[in-house]
Amino acid sequence: MASPFGTPFGTPLGPLLHHSEPIDPTLWEWLSAKIDHVLGLSPGVMVLILGTLIVLFPIVVMVVALRRRRGLR
Amino acid sequence: MSADQSGSGKAADSREPEKARHQGLYYGWYIVAALFFATFLAMGSRSGFGVFVKTWELDWGVTTATVSVAAAVGWLVNGIAQPIFGRMTDVYGGRRVVILSLLVMSVATVGIATVSNIYGLIALYGFVISFASGGVSPAITGVIVARWFERNRGMAMAVLVAGGSVGGLVLVPFMSFALVEFGWRTAWIIVGVLAFGLGVPMLFFIVRSKPEEMGMKPDGDESHDSGDAEITVRPVGPKYVEKWRDSFSSMPIWQLSFAYWVCGITTASISVHFVRWAISEDISIGTAALAFGVLSGINAAGVLVIGLLSDRWQRKNLLGAVYLIRAVAFISLIVLPGPSAIWAFAVVGGMSWLATVPLTASLTADVYGVRNLGTLFGFANMAHQLGGAAAVLLFGWAFTAWGSYDIPFAIGAVTLVAAGIVSLSIREKKHSVRYVQVPVGGAPGAKLLKQDGD
Repeated sequence: MASPFGTPFGTPLGPLLHHSEPIDPTLWEWLSAKIDHVLGLSPGVMVLILGTLIVLFPIVVMVVALRRRRGLR
Repeated sequence: MSADQSGSGKAADSREPEKARHQGLYYGWYIVAALFFATFLAMGSRSGFGVFVKTWELDWGVTTATVSVAAAVGWLVNGIAQPIFGRMTDVYGGRRVVILSLLVMSVATVGIATVSNIYGLIALYGFVISFASGGVSPAITGVIVARWFERNRGMAMAVLVAGGSVGGLVLVPFMSFALVEFGWRTAWIIVGVLAFGLGVPMLFFIVRSKPEEMGMKPDGDESHDSGDAEITVRPVGPKYVEKWRDSFSSMPIWQLSFAYWVCGITTASISVHFVRWAISEDISIGTAALAFGVLSGINAAGVLVIGLLSDRWQRKNLLGAVYLIRAVAFISLIVLPGPSAIWAFAVVGGMSWLATVPLTASLTADVYGVRNLGTLFGFANMAHQLGGAAAVLLFGWAFTAWGSYDIPFAIGAVTLVAAGIVSLSIREKKHSVRYVQVPVGGAPGAKLLKQDGD
């Protein structure tokens, strides 16, 4: 884990909140275990749930935006 | 000065702008939504790098320090890319830049799946992805938003910047679960395909560089038809310049860049050294993570509140306050005992963590206009990234030398106080188009407007 300059990766939420520095692997391991413990869902189900959210957002925005543009004409 | 430069504030003619008569949400908010998703993908995938470190260590037989070279290279490359993409945005328009950048990024993200050693990772992640992600950074997307919004610029910027946070909070777990379920190569392919299949088309179909490309005005205003010719003059501020280099002969860009450099120093150092500090204070990783969860909630709400306020109050006052609040958070790390300090930092620091981005971008646009905004904010971002890279190294050396973070944190607090004072000293009412608008040569109806503002 250690590099000459401390941990080379950011904390999970620090970078998430501000910029795009990579997540800290040690903290992520802890958080990941906690998420598993609390939700108790398999990784496959989580991929499905989060993936659906990620896919739906742009599709919905695109549909609404294109309808809006049609209305502007 | 150009008559069609957009700034913030009111139209240069004496008549009040009229709100768009057509029904429905202003199209600029769809632009924000599309750029929000692009930021989500770009920042999320860069943040997700950390999820794969231990896997790569096992697969390739390398140390974390070795893998960190790719991250460190990426940090610097990303910083250098900002003014380059900024200039491209000013010349070619933001739409082309963000689409091309996300396209390259998505292909390179899929390419990570083919990497078999650390050198490939450094090349693809450190150089290609990190460089391309500079084209989807707030320095670029913010320029597009600034052209679409004038009165609600601060709020629109805040929503956009929040995309990076959401990207980390959703995409990082997604990549982590995909890693467990399908393996690291498939996880990168999935993210690349998402960016290629959804992000790029979304940008292509929705985003336009400026409202004029759709026959619209910023904020959805409609120009009055006087019966003769439509007046298209936008307000211009006293510091608007034709050439971006001329901006550097005035104070505000130096003040904003200095403060943003300090922002880079303080956020990067905390991001990288927080774990080690927590361990040195006998704080568990679980507590550290929970404290940052609190910081997360406060920050998410805080940035939207700041965005809202910044459209009503002087932005420099909010920016100065944000730096001073962060200085208090740093001081709390020194003076309070570890377990109290971490919570004080989470609460106080949370209020300031993300708010500098929309405030700095909006203020730069208000003072210098949007014509050269990409280049100027790109330079400010480069200062931010380079300051962050230097701080990460110096904080590490200081901890190695003294076995404590007290001195680095004290230096961070001092620089933050300086950034706060410098931000407060920006003469916004003298330089910003929100408060002072100058005549555009010969434009019909143009006259000097001076408004008291808040």
